[in-house]
Amino acid sequence: MSDSTDSNGALAGASRALEPLENAANMVAAVAILLLMVLGVAQIILRTAFNTPITGYIDLVELSMASMAFLGAAYCQRLGAHIRMELLVGRVRGRNLWAMEVFGTLVAMFIIGVLIWYSAGHFWRSYTLGDTTIDAEFPVWPSKLIVPIAFTIWWLRLALQLFGYLRLFLDPSKAKVAVVTVKDVAEQAQDEIHEATGGVSTDDGESRT
Amino acid sequence: MILGIGFEDPFLVGLIALAALMGLILVGVRVVFAAATVGLFGLIELLGWGPAAGVVGTIPHSKSSTYALSVLPMFIFIGFLAFHAGMTQQLFDAARKWVGWVPGGLAVATIFATAGFAAVSGASTATAAVFSRVAIPEMLKYGYDRKMAAGVVAAGGTLATLIPPSAIIVIYAIIVEESVGALLLAGFLPGIVSALIYAGIIIVWAMIKPEHAPAVTGYTWGDRIKSLPGVSPIFAVVAIIISAIYAGWATPTEAGALGAAVVFGIALLRGTSFSAIRGSLMESAKLTVMIFSLIWGVLIFVRFLGFSGLPEAFTTWIVSLDVPPMVIMICILLAYAVLGMFMDAIGMLLLTLPVVYPAVTALGFDSIWFGIIVVKMAEVCLITPPIGLNCFVVNGVRPDIALTDVFRGIALFFVADVITIAVLLAFPEIVTWLPDLMRN
Repeated sequence: MSDSTDSNGALAGASRALEPLENAANMVAAVAILLLMVLGVAQIILRTAFNTPITGYIDLVELSMASMAFLGAAYCQRLGAHIRMELLVGRVRGRNLWAMEVFGTLVAMFIIGVLIWYSAGHFWRSYTLGDTTIDAEFPVWPSKLIVPIAFTIWWLRLALQLFGYLRLFLDPSKAKVAVVTVKDVAEQAQDEIHEATGGVSTDDGESRT
Repeated sequence: MILGIGFEDPFLVGLIALAALMGLILVGVRVVFAAATVGLFGLIELLGWGPAAGVVGTIPHSKSSTYALSVLPMFIFIGFLAFHAGMTQQLFDAARKWVGWVPGGLAVATIFATAGFAAVSGASTATAAVFSRVAIPEMLKYGYDRKMAAGVVAAGGTLATLIPPSAIIVIYAIIVEESVGALLLAGFLPGIVSALIYAGIIIVWAMIKPEHAPAVTGYTWGDRIKSLPGVSPIFAVVAIIISAIYAGWATPTEAGALGAAVVFGIALLRGTSFSAIRGSLMESAKLTVMIFSLIWGVLIFVRFLGFSGLPEAFTTWIVSLDVPPMVIMICILLAYAVLGMFMDAIGMLLLTLPVVYPAVTALGFDSIWFGIIVVKMAEVCLITPPIGLNCFVVNGVRPDIALTDVFRGIALFFVADVITIAVLLAFPEIVTWLPDLMRN
């Protein structure tokens, strides 16, 4: 969860500027999930009641998977929801903690950077060769294009977090901007309660996006 | 190559990579980044930069766009919608009318209600949160022991992952390349057996100390029948998925879509607001991307592992051990129990299965059976200290019940879980019977 107590700096501004893009990308993924539901029900009805299954249903589902699998990555990153082991980071405080976070974010930026480049290559080959799915012959490139796009947004969020962590590493007394903080088990439990019961329980006034 | 070892000894590269992966994860690098980075460097070492990066660049898209995985977003969406369809109160009422008369009736009712709701929501901890509100006040009103009331709620949620729809079982199936349908079916009976063993423990407790858990009586058969329509959607979702897979009238994804549509319809009928629906969708998308990231991240590492020959070497070593396979199995399960205390269940399974699974099958264990046992193991960790997230959730909703009391209340359910796992080890047919029926 990004903390925006220091809401004036350039970093906070950049972080806020990226949020609508992340939210929109995640919303597209969410709509794809809804459409997958509609498509599945339609397929059952058309096949069992009218004996006319949707042509290329499986191809369509497979192509749409990319939007669900990737578009929310930056949103998920901002909220700190990608899985990690908090055994150690949960116990470290201050400068040591921020050093670990800087390291982790650098690893992330490296691999996502490599993946942006090579997944773009994967897309480009598909686009120039005019790849289609085997069954219904839908073009494959739009689905492959989603990967470098989603990863680029993800990389931007990671870059902002890197600046946020570096800033705290240099001066741990500063307010936390554009970073995700580690929660202990009790705080995680509060989050779960919050999610399950729709915000009745948390008493720390924390706002969720 | 870059590490200067040369690819004449892939096995050594594999070991170094495994150590590097553990190191990165220990210092808090998110699992997807750690697995993908180590996998990339390992492949570079064995294949050179160009081919390695080329392969790695295709993995996220190619591994994510498979039809089998499309069932995951559907199950996840069902889970988030379930909270808005708000069947928790009805479930608890129905369960108390049907089983309230047994010793410890309200606690037994809570077990069945949480099992039913958790099955559909798929979320253990969230179920514990909801039922802490619904069931604990009722139990306390009837003079139930606080420790028992808290323990029942924390334990009941753990039944989520066995009864279909279950996302974690799908993930296991994908990783070990087993039939998603067969595994989903396989979880059903063990889930029921788990619930019955929980109920059995409560009944024994209530018979020894009746003042801790009085029965609630006075309901007629009319009351019982009338309580059913309110909870029918829960049964509908489970029935749709099981019957679709068993009889083959729909794929797991289609069955999941139909189940989601049912819960979606009920949520709308109950006047769920647009913003709540949108919230469920956003949460579903977030959890979906989190799980898919883990899957492709780990699969990059797995691709490298395949080149290194490490899984084969581990398998050869395990098989050569002069120890009965069951002893090895118990050691593996104990290792999972320890690991599960520090790590999320999905991450733990994804990281360990590529090495552990080939060894387990080489020892002659059934892959479906092992999947169910491992998933059950991962759930047990939700109620054991030091993490025991479910217990913290109960304590978070009911700060008046001390954390130590919640952990004391859960102790007997931990015993119940050990019994369940022993039963599944002794009678593997409980797991394999349904999928075998489907296959024949």
